[in-house]
Amino acid sequence: MATPDHLLKDWDGFLSGGVLYSFDTDAKTRDFSATSSYTYAVADWRVKKPVFNPNHCIHCQFCWVYCPDTSIISKDKKFDHVDLEHCKGCGICAEVCPTNPKSLLMFMETVSDEEAIGGWPAKENKNNAGGE
Amino acid sequence: MGNRDIKNLKEWSLAPEQFEGGHRLCPGCSHGIIVREMMNSTEYDICVAYATGCLEVCSSIYPFTSWNVSTIHIGFENAATAISGVEAMHKALARKKRLFTEDKPARFIAFGGDGATFDIGLQFISGAVERGHHFTYVCLDNEGYMNTGGQRSSATPIGGATTTSPAGTASYGEKNRKKDIIGVMIASGADYAASVSPFHWKDLAKKAQKAFSIEGPTFINAISPCPTEWKFEAHLSMHINELAVECCAFPLFEIERQEGGYGHKLTITYKPKNKIPVREYLAAQGRFKHLFTPKYEYVIDIIQKDIDDQWEYLLKREAAGV
Amino acid sequence: MDIHEKEVWDGNTAASQAMRQARCDVVAAYPITPSTPIVQNYSQYAADDEIFGGEFVMVESEHAAMSACVGASAAGGRVATATSSQGFALMVEVLYQASGMRLPIVLNVVNRALASPLNIHGDHSDMYLGLLSGWLNLCAFNPQEAYDLNLCAFKIAEDHNVRLPVMVHQDGFLTSHTTEIVHPLNDEVAHNFIGDFKPLKAMLDFSHPVTYGAQTEEEWHFEHKANQNHAIFEAESKIIEVFAEFEKLSGRKYDLIESYKMDDADEVVIAIGSVTGTLQMTVDKLRSSGKKVGLLAIRMLRPFPRNRVAEALQNVKAIAVLDRCAPMGSTGTLYNDIAAILVDSGKTIPMLNYIYGLGGRDATVDMLEVVYNDLSECVAAGKRVKPLMQHINLRGKTLTFF
Repeated sequence: MATPDHLLKDWDGFLSGGVLYSFDTDAKTRDFSATSSYTYAVADWRVKKPVFNPNHCIHCQFCWVYCPDTSIISKDKKFDHVDLEHCKGCGICAEVCPTNPKSLLMFMETVSDEEAIGGWPAKENKNNAGGE
Repeated sequence: MGNRDIKNLKEWSLAPEQFEGGHRLCPGCSHGIIVREMMNSTEYDICVAYATGCLEVCSSIYPFTSWNVSTIHIGFENAATAISGVEAMHKALARKKRLFTEDKPARFIAFGGDGATFDIGLQFISGAVERGHHFTYVCLDNEGYMNTGGQRSSATPIGGATTTSPAGTASYGEKNRKKDIIGVMIASGADYAASVSPFHWKDLAKKAQKAFSIEGPTFINAISPCPTEWKFEAHLSMHINELAVECCAFPLFEIERQEGGYGHKLTITYKPKNKIPVREYLAAQGRFKHLFTPKYEYVIDIIQKDIDDQWEYLLKREAAGV
Repeated sequence: MDIHEKEVWDGNTAASQAMRQARCDVVAAYPITPSTPIVQNYSQYAADDEIFGGEFVMVESEHAAMSACVGASAAGGRVATATSSQGFALMVEVLYQASGMRLPIVLNVVNRALASPLNIHGDHSDMYLGLLSGWLNLCAFNPQEAYDLNLCAFKIAEDHNVRLPVMVHQDGFLTSHTTEIVHPLNDEVAHNFIGDFKPLKAMLDFSHPVTYGAQTEEEWHFEHKANQNHAIFEAESKIIEVFAEFEKLSGRKYDLIESYKMDDADEVVIAIGSVTGTLQMTVDKLRSSGKKVGLLAIRMLRPFPRNRVAEALQNVKAIAVLDRCAPMGSTGTLYNDIAAILVDSGKTIPMLNYIYGLGGRDATVDMLEVVYNDLSECVAAGKRVKPLMQHINLRGKTLTFF
């Protein structure tokens, strides 16, 4: 994991003791500093991405609570969007989504969101349902 | 200010995150889920200490930190001691009226893997607990030294294959039972100790808040299914978690002090409606696949019996109120 | 606490009083002979409410002692502790971590031998073990110095341009348990000399969360360690400054090296610790019979005072370096530090190494006189005519190397 060039400092160009601050100003402003991992993208880890279909979501927040990468962003108690900079495509969100059909499904990176939603599976007959 | 009032998940989703993405934990790693749940349970000012291991290595690779709270990593064994020092300094500065921010109650949390907690750091946690520091130690239990490629720890369950307890023609993997870490913590003087599962978020949040509200040392052991070394697909972390609890391989319970008396009492906080056979749980993970051979199949029975015996014991303790 | 102008203190009492007067915010400690009295004294001060509201944490091992000190220091306050020998060895891992994180912790090391075999008496095995850990090292030779250097240590460590942990060494039993007349400062004056703790990058500043102890990969580690090494060398000027301030206050002058009758000395012995007192007596005795001998004691061991030592040795004709630690397969550590200076200056004079005092073994004036005689012989012959490495007061047939 190489440090991006613009962040590579000389031997006398960084805070002594190797300490790292999360915010430029303070915790209240939450203005992430260049040394917060918030500014580091791990998008290139993905092979598949989660695609959200708003037509079925009940905003239960399962995806929000179970995302290891703080990549399901909720606003006002509702699913808002997937943080695609930080999503690693693990698929937990799609797995735990309880709606039928699911409101989050994994698709190859190369598939556009429109294509994905266009080809969304129909509601499954409970007797044939797999998964959890 | 204090514990967040979590009526339901929708309410909970309003919590400002204290653990950001962009860390380097494996896709599907349960550590990220546990840390988020623990930190989101509270609105207190927090300081964190964490041990060398997956969490530390992946959340603070220079020059990036994933933490929105002050954290310190010293070494592998001493997260509990590091946070003891922070907590002691807080006490001293509060007494001397030299705190940096408003004198509000703060919370001190240590995170460590099972390697740091069960093994190399056992002395340190026992000491910190015995001294009565006001802190919560959260063990991220993925049952092995996973950061360094999956070596065994004393948290590795019987039959689990690791690189230092591998399955082979003359071995079925780990031979020793998982250490009763909660027992060790209670014996060391913890005011509260509990096992949690990130999948059971409500149970975890409740226990986290209980731990934070107790003015003394508290301990939480969280099962953290590891896709990489338990060998299952990343998206199944919460499914594996659920199986572990439903077959009682990882029972969810809490131990608190007896009110107005000596000793503690145990309460089981989740009882599966239909306890599933451990076979289902084992079959879902590659680290147990060697048990599904004629030569080692008998070990599954040993594991099942151990689980059944332990569950019986927990039920007995709960009924007896001790 | 009522402190008199003259007290009769041993080295441990002197160190613990200085720690108390510094008004440490947190002391996390574990007892081990011969530094145990420091921990015990501090416990008593705490029990008598004489530690100005600080916290005293009796941890369960020396590793835990330094670990808790690191946590407390990063949290943002004044921190100190004490240990020896095995305990020092146990906490070595954390010493590196403390200095890497640039935390201003003061550590009293009451020097004692390292097992095996087990020995509780004074030698410099523990001192030498920690030389690469990135701490500033100051050496006290008697209780007065143990007291004075502790006060200086806090001031040096906490300076925002230094921010490095400092060790104060004193010989186990020989200094720590030997009482002498000490002239301490009173509580108020001592604390004012050090001043209030000025926090920097404090973890407990919740509005500015900071991460300590990150992992540096290949593209960073070298820069971090070079940065730290640079800071250690730079600290020398602050040490000189603090010593000067202390002299103004107390009348006692401390230097990076302590020269005794060096001005016209032909034969010089270099040493650290309580033996320097015996060496002074030896020098006086030889001087009274006309020998031009001198003593160079090292006060600031890290950063090593290279320039000052080179200057002091300019006109010297032969040197003996005393090492109070078995070098296990090479010349002694202090010998090597001195030799490096001579090589660089192009000076070729006989330089002898003496291993002495292990496990509290005595070195008397008579024995040390032999060292100076060895040097004389070399000077007379114009080259080294004695073995490179010898032992002082070793029982049995003579053991030398090279």
